Amino acid sequence: MNRRVFLGACGALLASCGKPARIRLALNWKPDPQFGGFYAAPYQKHGLDVDILPGGAGTPTVQMIGAGSAEFGIVSADELVVARSRGNDVVALFAVFQNCPEGIMAHSSRHLASIGDVLKEGTLALQRGLPYARILERKYGFDHVKVVPSPGGDISAFLRDEKFAQQCFVMSEPLQARHAGVDVKVFPVADIGYNPYTTVLATGGAQLKSDPDRVKAMVGAVRAGWRAYLNDPAPTNAKMHDLNPSMDAATFAEVAEAQKPFIETHQDTTSLGSTTAERWTTLIGQLAELGDIPQAIPAQDCFRNL
Amino acid sequence: MKRIFPPLIPFVVVTLALEGMVRGGFVPSYLVPAPSAVLRALIDSRDELASAMAKTSAAALIGFGLSTLAGVAIAVLLSSSRAIQRSFYPYAVFFQTVPIIAIAPLLVIWFGYGMKTVIASAFIVSIFPVIANTLTGLLSTDPALRDLFRLYGASPGVTLVKLRFPAALPQILTGLRVASGLAVIGAIVGEFIGGQGLGSVVDVARTQQRVDKVFAAVLLASVLGLALFGLINLVSALTLRRWHASEQPG
Amino acid sequence: MTNPKVAETARGVALRLQRVRRVFENNLVVIEGMDLDIDAGEFLAVLGPSGCGKSTLLRMIARLSAPDGGRIVTEPKQFQTAFVFQDAHLLPWRTVLDNTALPLELKGTGREARHATARAVLAQVGLAEAEARYPVQLSSGMRMRVSLARALVTEPRLLLMDEPFAALDEITRFNLEVQLRDLWQRRSMTVIFVTHSISEAAFLANRAVVMTRRKGGIKLDRRTDLPAERTNDLRSDRRLGHEMKLLMDAMEEE
Repeated sequence: MNRRVFLGACGALLASCGKPARIRLALNWKPDPQFGGFYAAPYQKHGLDVDILPGGAGTPTVQMIGAGSAEFGIVSADELVVARSRGNDVVALFAVFQNCPEGIMAHSSRHLASIGDVLKEGTLALQRGLPYARILERKYGFDHVKVVPSPGGDISAFLRDEKFAQQCFVMSEPLQARHAGVDVKVFPVADIGYNPYTTVLATGGAQLKSDPDRVKAMVGAVRAGWRAYLNDPAPTNAKMHDLNPSMDAATFAEVAEAQKPFIETHQDTTSLGSTTAERWTTLIGQLAELGDIPQAIPAQDCFRNL
Repeated sequence: MKRIFPPLIPFVVVTLALEGMVRGGFVPSYLVPAPSAVLRALIDSRDELASAMAKTSAAALIGFGLSTLAGVAIAVLLSSSRAIQRSFYPYAVFFQTVPIIAIAPLLVIWFGYGMKTVIASAFIVSIFPVIANTLTGLLSTDPALRDLFRLYGASPGVTLVKLRFPAALPQILTGLRVASGLAVIGAIVGEFIGGQGLGSVVDVARTQQRVDKVFAAVLLASVLGLALFGLINLVSALTLRRWHASEQPG
Repeated sequence: MTNPKVAETARGVALRLQRVRRVFENNLVVIEGMDLDIDAGEFLAVLGPSGCGKSTLLRMIARLSAPDGGRIVTEPKQFQTAFVFQDAHLLPWRTVLDNTALPLELKGTGREARHATARAVLAQVGLAEAEARYPVQLSSGMRMRVSLARALVTEPRLLLMDEPFAALDEITRFNLEVQLRDLWQRRSMTVIFVTHSISEAAFLANRAVVMTRRKGGIKLDRRTDLPAERTNDLRSDRRLGHEMKLLMDAMEEE
């Protein structure tokens, strides 16, 4: 007899009794262009009634899926792998960013050549718990730089202090800094060989088994939404700006444009958002080596291309 | 032994129940860690946790010490005249209502990343109960005793030191009991933003989905809060033991 | 009919109240134009129903509040007043000895001196062995005796008492009344004793005034016709009953 997670079993029971009234999609940040396709998606046309729950700093989307408080959630590939290794059966369905848009930004006046140079002096605002933070620490050491918690999208400390560097989304915070009159140099994390899928739509394995049609419909709607958003982000940007006034309309448009290269890397647009076993295997290997997971897990269990 | 035993029983029962529920698969271990996992995290990360706890303890203690001194001083000032009280007490209430999460980033601007911000956070969060309780204590002095002091020509300063302050002591200690726990909370919040101590351990462990380590750090924070609370109780017992109804036997 | 013993005394305080008026914040006139002469060394009882202004009167005499009209003249001008309240009002964090010595401490007397004086007075009220105890360990009767000792420690020339024995049981009350009377006789100070109790007023005082229900008038002013020595035996004496009847009649009419 398989050990079933108690909550997962309950969820499956409920699902098999018929469609519940709402489907909840939990975001892991405030509404901004990285979620454009999700807000543009034609859920009704695919027979779905979706409630998008905006998030913020530290929203535990991976746990929410596991606990059943959201049917779908946005996670990053590395946190999905870690969750799976701990017994949380989450599965990736659609990766928005095929290439990881995370990076470190520094004042260009410092004339730094590589990511290693950033760690030679000054302050670096970084979420220490992230895998790439620890890869950086292993590779270059944090002995000469003061590492402080990431201010989460707020660049005021960065603007004030020339020797202050911080983690960012390559197409977001640097733009804001430039608008504020500070020229920046961005060092993508991918440059150190760490490139997990980012802003990934995921769901619980139990739901995938019990209601595969609903999951397929969701992926279809999301794919259509992203195609629409890539073609014309303006109307959806307006909707998101209402929900998140902290970013102005012009920046919304700029970021939506700047993020395209990270999304549309497939020649074949019918497979927009799909992921490969090879990439998952690489990521799993890197996390196992870091010690974030005790041992490698099967790559094919991590994702489903629908 | 008689005093330690009763609180231990619920603790043991709950711990064993939780362990059973997690091992039996009724509660997923990635949501709630088994007590045995928390214990293992405590042991495995003991050096990191010990140094983090030392930092948090120092910040909480200093913040609490400062809020005690400043809180009592402010209350003494407020109690000296109705006009002063009416003008300034509402601003003291500000310390109670301001959400520390919102102003913590401001603290970083003023105090930088490090111990000073954490102390400031502990101070801001814990000062109001000290002010409120001390003020209540100072204002509740027995009017007959005040008359008595006037009758014998005591100055306001003498009346404050020999009458109003000792009379207010039980109330002040009540305020300190509340403030001590808040100082720990304030320190942890400050550490989320300022980046050190147990707060930082929680923040980093959370990102790594290490719920066992999160719980281990939270447990240590609770121990710290309990220790401070116990310290106040000790001070209370020593100073009030001989004469206050609350500390009499039976 | 003055008591000869009182007339000989020169160490109490004489007071003259002239058209004294006291109004409270809500424009309630508590005392309207009261005239009263009190001889030095007198033991004056002030009787009256609740709310008649007797406590207010006492506080004005103590100079804790000022009259809104008229004046209070004293002879001599400067002297030490002591006050005994209905509750002992001791400082709970101080020992009996330190509580008793408090007035001397506030006036700047050194530790040795004030402890010596306090011990002497505590002996007089019969609490010598209790000097190291705290108020929380004493019975209410003992606490009142400490309060009394505290009042006497500065050798006050004017002793004001506001229903001090009202909260005590009767036997304790009887004994404290005898003790108070004895202390008064040995020190010859002016005592003004506010009370609700007719029997207490009659037993203790050599002069009693009964106040009117409102506006602080005086209905009756009588020098009691009783022997100078007052012991508990006097309580069953017919003369006491006679004085009590006079006071009671005055209290009742209105």
